[in-house]
Amino acid sequence: MSEPDDPRWLDDVAGELRREVPVRPAWRARLLDDVARAPKPSVRDIADDVFGDDEPALDRGRRRWSITVAPLTGLAAASLLVALGAGVMYVAMSSKTAGADESQRAAHDGPSAASPQLVSRTPTATDREVVRFELSAPRASHVALVGSFNEWNPVATPLSRDPASGKWVVSLRLPPGRHVYAFVVDGDVTADPSAPRAADDDFGSPNSVVLVSSPRT
Amino acid sequence: MIVRLFALALAFAMSTATMRAQEVDRTLPSQLSAPTRATLERLIDSARVAGLPVDPLYSKVREGVFRGADEPRVLAAVQRLTRDLADASSALGDSAGAEEIAAGANALRAGLRPTDLSRLRESRGRRPDHPLTVALVVLADLATRGVPPAMAAASVNELVARNVSDGSLLSFRQNVERDLVGGRSAASALDARTRAMIDDRRP
Repeated sequence: MSEPDDPRWLDDVAGELRREVPVRPAWRARLLDDVARAPKPSVRDIADDVFGDDEPALDRGRRRWSITVAPLTGLAAASLLVALGAGVMYVAMSSKTAGADESQRAAHDGPSAASPQLVSRTPTATDREVVRFELSAPRASHVALVGSFNEWNPVATPLSRDPASGKWVVSLRLPPGRHVYAFVVDGDVTADPSAPRAADDDFGSPNSVVLVSSPRT
Repeated sequence: MIVRLFALALAFAMSTATMRAQEVDRTLPSQLSAPTRATLERLIDSARVAGLPVDPLYSKVREGVFRGADEPRVLAAVQRLTRDLADASSALGDSAGAEEIAAGANALRAGLRPTDLSRLRESRGRRPDHPLTVALVVLADLATRGVPPAMAAASVNELVARNVSDGSLLSFRQNVERDLVGGRSAASALDARTRAMIDDRRP
């Protein structure tokens, strides 16, 4: 950093203060969820909030929200530390087995108890067990699935050719909800011809939609 | 005191477990520049504070990066989706779930109007708790296949008002698609398929 008599030192300090501070996404999400529960401004202005509005909606809302931080007593601080420690240990232990690879496991385990037939043509499952995707592309040498469920990662979910039908297939365990996806056929992104289309062609070709309903209770 | 500390630790661990079960990757790709990430974070935070579903926004960012879109294009897409989500949320009402709002945003993107979504909500009538997600997905699909949005909205509205099941709505979509591929006009296909579905339900 420059000497204090150098006028640039102030810029250095300002630059240092502006530097991005990493915040854990889970903490950030929890804090914002708490804020979301407070009285909030109209949702109509939210996009203008970022892209230019004289008085952003969020700022108008902030005036009504005041946060008071009560000083922690020794006991509360100790309790918090123990609780945090327990939480960190839990996360560390469970991360080895948790969900990110579940989809891949389902794909390699083969058909599950839930009937793949249910989703073979129009991929709408009544359970969250397994959704089977298939594509007829006889001349393709490599087919993969990308979508909201695998972070649009083109190497995460390759399809394999079914010797019986000649189709490219993969079975995935998907959580309930509406998922947007596409196939990557030899590098080209294409929608699923047998599924409902999504109208979101922001980046070229449109995607497809798969609906997975909540498990039966 | 030890018991209290243990209870607190257990409660925290359980809440962490719940968070993990619902966890999606809510980080922004490192391929994006710091200023773009900062802008996206502000936009997504605003959406979250407004009670909108944010997973579609993260997905849109990742899709843009996967498809090699430049950063202004990614920003524009996320901004547009945020507006659509906000409009869909307003049109579908406070009881709408995240999936309905996302499907509603997609229907708006396909050319439907917010009033079409509101009308669909009113048509639900006797099943106020039944999600409209499937109906909205069918609407968006028909509109992207060239069916005039107003025409598609009228047909799907009529089917929803008659308590047609989600499975039947999906069959309806497939049948209309087949008709369109076969060269039938959108108006003719919609009219015939809507009438057929209503007739099937008559005792």
